[in-house]
Amino acid sequence: MSLAAILMMMLGVLWIGGGSVWLLTRRRYKLVQAPSFLMDLVGFPVEYAQSIWGRGGVPYALLLPNMLIFGLFTFVPMILNFYVSFTGGTSILLFNRPWVGLQQYADIFSCETIFEPRTCSNAGFSFWTGMFNTLWFVVIQVPVLCVVALVTALVVNKNIRGRGFWRAMFFYPVMLSPVVIANIWNWVLHRKGVLNEMIGGTRDQLSTMAGMTGFDIVVTVLLAVVLMVVSERALRSSDTPSLAWTAIFGALLALLFGWANPLSLIGLGGSFWLGGALALGLVLIVSSESRLARIAIIAAGILSAALLISIQFDAVFDFGRYRPVNWLVQPNTGWPFFWLVFVFTWSHMGFYMLILLAGLQAIPSDLYEAARMDATRPARAFWRITLPLIMPTLTVVLVLALIRSFQIFDEVYLLTGGGPGRETFMIVQNIYEVAFTNNNKDYGEGAAGSVLMAVVIAVFTFFQLWITRRQSEL
Amino acid sequence: MLNRLGTFLTRTAGNKDTAERFGMADFLAYGYLLLGVLIVLVPVLWTFFSSIKPERAVDSFDTRLLPIAQVQTEIEGIGTKPEWIHEAGGGGARKVFKAGPTRKETDVAPIDAPGDVFKVPRTQLRPSEEIRVATENYLDPLLKRHGQENFTFGIYLFNSIFVTVMATLITLIINAMAAFALSKYRFRGRLTFTILIVATLLIPSSIILVSLFFVVWSFGIFGSLWGVIIPAAATPTGVFLLRQYMLTIPDELLEAARMDAASEWRIFWRIVMPLSLPALSVLAILSVIWRWNDFLWPLIVLISDPEKHTIQLGLTQYAGEFDTDFHYILAMTVVSLIPITLVFVWLQRFITTGIATTGLK
Repeated sequence: MSLAAILMMMLGVLWIGGGSVWLLTRRRYKLVQAPSFLMDLVGFPVEYAQSIWGRGGVPYALLLPNMLIFGLFTFVPMILNFYVSFTGGTSILLFNRPWVGLQQYADIFSCETIFEPRTCSNAGFSFWTGMFNTLWFVVIQVPVLCVVALVTALVVNKNIRGRGFWRAMFFYPVMLSPVVIANIWNWVLHRKGVLNEMIGGTRDQLSTMAGMTGFDIVVTVLLAVVLMVVSERALRSSDTPSLAWTAIFGALLALLFGWANPLSLIGLGGSFWLGGALALGLVLIVSSESRLARIAIIAAGILSAALLISIQFDAVFDFGRYRPVNWLVQPNTGWPFFWLVFVFTWSHMGFYMLILLAGLQAIPSDLYEAARMDATRPARAFWRITLPLIMPTLTVVLVLALIRSFQIFDEVYLLTGGGPGRETFMIVQNIYEVAFTNNNKDYGEGAAGSVLMAVVIAVFTFFQLWITRRQSEL
Repeated sequence: MLNRLGTFLTRTAGNKDTAERFGMADFLAYGYLLLGVLIVLVPVLWTFFSSIKPERAVDSFDTRLLPIAQVQTEIEGIGTKPEWIHEAGGGGARKVFKAGPTRKETDVAPIDAPGDVFKVPRTQLRPSEEIRVATENYLDPLLKRHGQENFTFGIYLFNSIFVTVMATLITLIINAMAAFALSKYRFRGRLTFTILIVATLLIPSSIILVSLFFVVWSFGIFGSLWGVIIPAAATPTGVFLLRQYMLTIPDELLEAARMDAASEWRIFWRIVMPLSLPALSVLAILSVIWRWNDFLWPLIVLISDPEKHTIQLGLTQYAGEFDTDFHYILAMTVVSLIPITLVFVWLQRFITTGIATTGLK
């Protein structure tokens, strides 16, 4: 029995025994008041503090248990982390651990160049691999999470049917445990799973359709009609083009670029991304309501017509045989990382959506009414009213999302286990494996890793707060 | 008339005056919601539908929605055999079973005449199928039969419930005490305590893993359920949530009780606690979610002793140990998903508004 256990026993005996005696000598309890007696017994330290120090002592007694737990299990470990990171060996007895000074940090930093983890020592390799993967993950995850949460909050905040249901549906994954989430997605993303099945089926059907005669002409005509309708709708309103229709038009344009592949003429790939960039530029021009918007849309329309004529659709839609992708296992494809971001967004977005929704509902509706009186376009109302007023909430969401995604462990550990290779190996997994699963448990190195991670998180958080503060002042 | 019908069909929520026409933005919004259903609900439902499929359908990744199983027939003197339908060229179909290994020309025998073996081409056989809910996926692990003795669901469930209930009770009581002190008393050091609690909000739990392990070890609660319950019992979120709420309780109530010579503890228990029930229930729900889904810290503290595993740990070990038994894994996933889903469906409004108003985690 450890010292702490004996102390706890003594405390318990004093509390229950001493408390009962103390209470029973001072107060009268009838038999029916047994629950009341029990409740007084739970609060015996508070009662005792009041009897000794009067009312002034009560708040301290009330704060004691909470602060004791905070102190012992949050603040002491915080300090202890530094001490442990300066010690070596594998002993779990704190005073048995030899002092090694900065050795653990030196191990982590013993690299030829830090930005290439391969040139490091073993400890440095896993640490820096985890660190760079995590940084990369955070840089992608935080904007994705915030944008998706904001869009969802805006949609759910609209005047739609069944708002409560939609809100609940988007929040539901937050309630699920990481193990359940990992099992669900493992099942869906399996090599023979339903996602591959769906993709394969769609591709086969399209290929069969593309094999039919006249397919090329039919699709060209259909797309031409669609493009004409969309661009006409975009340009229809009197002064400025419609943003929503322009967005659809932009998406079509990007698709056309991908299919026509104009960059292949000069021997380059990535036509789709060029098209996407052009479409984004178009949307930005329209949303900024510049005078060039109309001209830009018309120019893009001419461009798309030219692209449309050059595309051979039966070749585009003939996909050939589909080879199922092993989404979570195939190395050097980027898919495991993509699905990690996807599943993380899936499982956490609802929480941030609710916070943003509360922020959106706090915006007074007179502002929108006034904007409507002035015939303000919805896009402008969003940039000029919604976004500035939601900025404080968005900042909170950014910081929370940053801290949360820095600590990613459960999802990645259960979905990919850090693999394939070390593609999704994150920093918390490094700390966990170094300190708890290796054969020689290297607590010192784990602690050193934690300290470095804390430093990075702190720097990131302050940096982010600083940037968003300057933005919200503008 | 047609025009009015069009107006009626494209109207959005609201009465005749406030409703607007169904515009492009609504179209996009509903499209987004549809996508949301596809991404959020369909995987969960798909998991559920897969979990009631028989083992063979799960192993062969049958992507049909319904649990379709091949009929198994008991044949005298031979045993249970899967049933096939033999379609001869003439149009007649017979129920047969395979009497030998599957080859290009397979030996089969009719169900009603087991001795009568004949050869048919493999392509003329198709499985005789029925729709059957595979309850054994659920019952085998739960009742520990058919080699599923290692999955002690009862123990996992007990541990999970014990951790969740105890931790939530402790969290509620000590957080409410701290919140009461910080909201209803003026004393030296109040600001210091408040700042200390804010500071804990900024310390992510995963950066103190290693040293927290040392502390928990030296208290002798490592490897026991208390090692999971105690360290996270004091939550800064809870203290703030309750403090904000208790600030709205009028001081006059407390003064009146003091006039009647009630002790401070009784004031707390009899007046403040019942009055802050809404905030307490929000915190209780949050705490239940956190504890039920907790993974990393229980993994460190409890992993070495299978008797102490929570549901989440048990499920992980299960998936790791029997990597091929997808039908059991899926069924147990659904089982562990059910309680939290029920709680959610029940208290959905509470939870969503509660989190929206606290906005913290």
